[in-house]
Amino acid sequence: MIKTLASRIWKFFKSFQLTIVLLACLMALVVLCTLAQVEMGTQGAVNAYMRSFFVKRQVSFLPFPLPVFPGGGLVGLLLTLNLIAKTLDIQRSWTKAGMWLVHAGLVILFAGEFVAGMMQVDTNMSIEVGQTVNYVQSYKNMELAVIDITDPTWDEVYSVPDTLLAKGGSIAIPDTPLTLNVKRYYPNSELSNLPPGAPPSLATAGIGPGVSVVERPTVTNDNELNTGSVFVEPVAGGRSYGVWLASMALGAPQSFTHEGHTYLLTMRLRRQYLPYAFTLKQFRHDVYPGTDIPKNFSSLVQVVNPSRNESREVLIYMNQPLRYEGKTFYQASFGKNDTLSVLSVVENPGWLLPYVSCVLVSLGLLVHFAIVLRRSLKRRQDKKEG
Amino acid sequence: MTFVQKYLAWAAGALALLVALIFALPGGKVRGFDVAGFGNIPILEGGRVKPLDSVARNSLLVIHSRQGFRYDGRTIGPDEWILDVLFRPQVADQQPIFVIDDPDVIGLIGAKQTKNRNYFSFVDLSSHLEEIQRQAQTAQPIAPQKRTRFQSAIVNLFDRVYLYYKLRNTLQLAGSPGLGWELQSISDAEASARHQDLMQLSQFRILPPLPGGNPDAWKNVGEGLRAMAAGQGVHPALAPLARLNAAYVANDAASFNQALADMDGVVSTLKPGALSHASNEVVFNRAQPFFVGLSIYFVAFIVLCISWIWKPELLRPTAYSLLFAGAIVHTLGLAARIILQGRPPVTNLYSSAIFVGWGAVILGLIVERMYRKGFGTAVAAVAGFASLIVAQNLGTEGDTMEMMRAVLDSNFWLATHVVTITIGYSGTFLAGAIAIAYAIRKHIVRKVDVETDKALVDMAYGIICFALFFSFVGTVLGGIWADQSWGRFWGWDPKENGALLIVLWNAIILHARWAGYVRERGTMVMAIFGNVITACSWFGVNMLGVGLHSYGFMDQAFYALMGFGLSQLIFMAICYAPPRFWEQKPHHKA
Repeated sequence: MIKTLASRIWKFFKSFQLTIVLLACLMALVVLCTLAQVEMGTQGAVNAYMRSFFVKRQVSFLPFPLPVFPGGGLVGLLLTLNLIAKTLDIQRSWTKAGMWLVHAGLVILFAGEFVAGMMQVDTNMSIEVGQTVNYVQSYKNMELAVIDITDPTWDEVYSVPDTLLAKGGSIAIPDTPLTLNVKRYYPNSELSNLPPGAPPSLATAGIGPGVSVVERPTVTNDNELNTGSVFVEPVAGGRSYGVWLASMALGAPQSFTHEGHTYLLTMRLRRQYLPYAFTLKQFRHDVYPGTDIPKNFSSLVQVVNPSRNESREVLIYMNQPLRYEGKTFYQASFGKNDTLSVLSVVENPGWLLPYVSCVLVSLGLLVHFAIVLRRSLKRRQDKKEG
Repeated sequence: MTFVQKYLAWAAGALALLVALIFALPGGKVRGFDVAGFGNIPILEGGRVKPLDSVARNSLLVIHSRQGFRYDGRTIGPDEWILDVLFRPQVADQQPIFVIDDPDVIGLIGAKQTKNRNYFSFVDLSSHLEEIQRQAQTAQPIAPQKRTRFQSAIVNLFDRVYLYYKLRNTLQLAGSPGLGWELQSISDAEASARHQDLMQLSQFRILPPLPGGNPDAWKNVGEGLRAMAAGQGVHPALAPLARLNAAYVANDAASFNQALADMDGVVSTLKPGALSHASNEVVFNRAQPFFVGLSIYFVAFIVLCISWIWKPELLRPTAYSLLFAGAIVHTLGLAARIILQGRPPVTNLYSSAIFVGWGAVILGLIVERMYRKGFGTAVAAVAGFASLIVAQNLGTEGDTMEMMRAVLDSNFWLATHVVTITIGYSGTFLAGAIAIAYAIRKHIVRKVDVETDKALVDMAYGIICFALFFSFVGTVLGGIWADQSWGRFWGWDPKENGALLIVLWNAIILHARWAGYVRERGTMVMAIFGNVITACSWFGVNMLGVGLHSYGFMDQAFYALMGFGLSQLIFMAICYAPPRFWEQKPHHKA
């Protein structure tokens, strides 16, 4: 009984029908995802169709979205299982060597996309000419930074990610006497001057009491940014320092002092500090003569890494990124009259997998076609002789 | 095949090549003026040094959709036209070169659309310029894919009128006495304002870089005059240009030709090599290898069709040799583009159409050598013809050898990723074309010929394998390029998805066949659908207007693509229908 069930499952996973149905599903997903990009933006469509296990639709009479079609994750997973089963099932003979290589390569390719989907972290680094930057920042995620600026030579940065702020409650800041009570968090908001006669703000200290905050629906589009805002009350040593408003829309940080330590409070894009720093020495934006068609963008940076005792110049330009310490830095954008360079920074532990896969599959196809060609030539020869 | 037949067949091919050669020869003088020599002058436009002839042809293509037109009972070529626009705008303004198809736009400029009357001259339009500009400026902020037909048409007309307006104010201000007068009155009161206008309106830069300066710093006439007014010396090309201008206006051919020789002398001292590069490009322009090629493919296809009913022993090899001649012309054209541009063959949508056709023709030639049934020739001729027609239509938007934007400026990736993926397109299209041939044949040929059917299926199958290999490798190479330049291997961008669809579809065909779910007919039906998928991923994704790859948006092509898709669905139905189902079946015996 168990054996028959197992063999039926095995048969199901290695069947050609499954391959074809899954490939057709994948085609349908790709078409839908492509068309959806017009409305949802690339990232939104990819999350809805490709990086999900089910494509869901909100139906009016149900409180939760209904899965209507297998998503890219499920199809990819089944296709991988199908591929593995099929690969194991291919005769272990030299005539099938090419097919083995091809399918092994495809498994690695799928694995690469899974790794990218799960583990890839996209951030960026904006540097102005002459500036030194030792952090990368997120495109969308925010944080509330509490910075101890008491020591003029050294800033101690504590940060609370937006996901934690969204949970609310009180958050103790480690290594400090501070606890933050989150009064209210807005994932996206709009700020304006508090009109006279309006109900008073939650804030009691800093700039907050004069500002009115209105909640806005969050945006996912590629070019839009949420304006996160939060009302927090720092408490230290049993004493409250008032309720402060921190927001992406407020430029200047606000500060308070506790037992001789001055802390800055600011809402900003989430930062990751690096054990090394980049200094932008030169940014170039070349155009073709007599036109404004861009020919090249390049950033000359000085990479300083004290832990490695390293200090060297690197030129990052189009199609020539810098791979450094697990991160890859690409020339992505520019601004401020060509004095600001934006590098996009990608951390993907699986970045090598597609390269391996490409080599395996190409090799496999060549081997397979060579075998087939040899066989057909032999057949032709036999026919002639026979 | 007898010796005579073979001889005749190859003679046909040689004749076709001879015709192609005649196209490349320079035309005679017009009214004694060395117009062709004028077209040879190198200038800088769009970031690239090219002959004036290219500017003339591309501008005329944009404005008029053709490279020449009939006026006053004779044909006016691009070089003569540009001479009039540059030096005698009062003559050029009368020539009806603006094509306007949109009835609303014609209504706007107050003309009634009558037969053969959708050509307008600049004079016809001149009293409506403000209205055209006003309408175009309201339409311009709207994204191209969201514009109404009228809005697209008015923006298009405005762009063409503006191009014409710039051209007629590039070497002299239209309506002024000319460049010679400009040189004499260099320091009068309004001179500075005029120089400013010339600088702003100039469409191209004709003054070669001076020794000691930046070797790419070509200047336009306005900049030359301004430098002269500022006491930085007279650019040596200004004097011969002024004489060219005066001689052309005075209808003095001898002085014109003399001034042209002086101009050439100045250019070759200041920028050695530019003149010969420009004249190579002029030969390429004149030869029009892709137009000639598509004509030869057309003749080859017609000859082959005749061969099925008349004298097959003579006409089939003739068709093959014509196809071969067409392929030679096509290949030479492709090679000339590669050399002139210094780039791998595919750099934009236009060149991809040329390359897809070329790949299909070469594959078809190989298939014909292997099977010798005439199908390879037929399919290759049709594929070559169709893709070059597509290219001709894509090439009306300006210079087809435009400079590559920063991220594309990589000959390595253009040569590997772009070429392999385009070969994949060629293969998928060729397999689809063979399947269509199979479908049509099944309904026309009365005799059941299992061997030919099998040969066709084998051809299609082999080519699908080939296409799968190239489209897969091309797609993965594209991923690697994306990883190098944008930081991700795969981003589900529309163009990437399009390429993936081709890979998936070819993989489905092969797996369905290996598993025995489809046989001959099924494979062929699926191969035809491959055409739809390839066309969508080649052009369709550009119409969505999203993603990093959407470098070229096309508005008109949408309906063409829809029509193509529909025709392929009909072919699939024809292929799926049993043979000659439409014939009246004899009644069953009682």
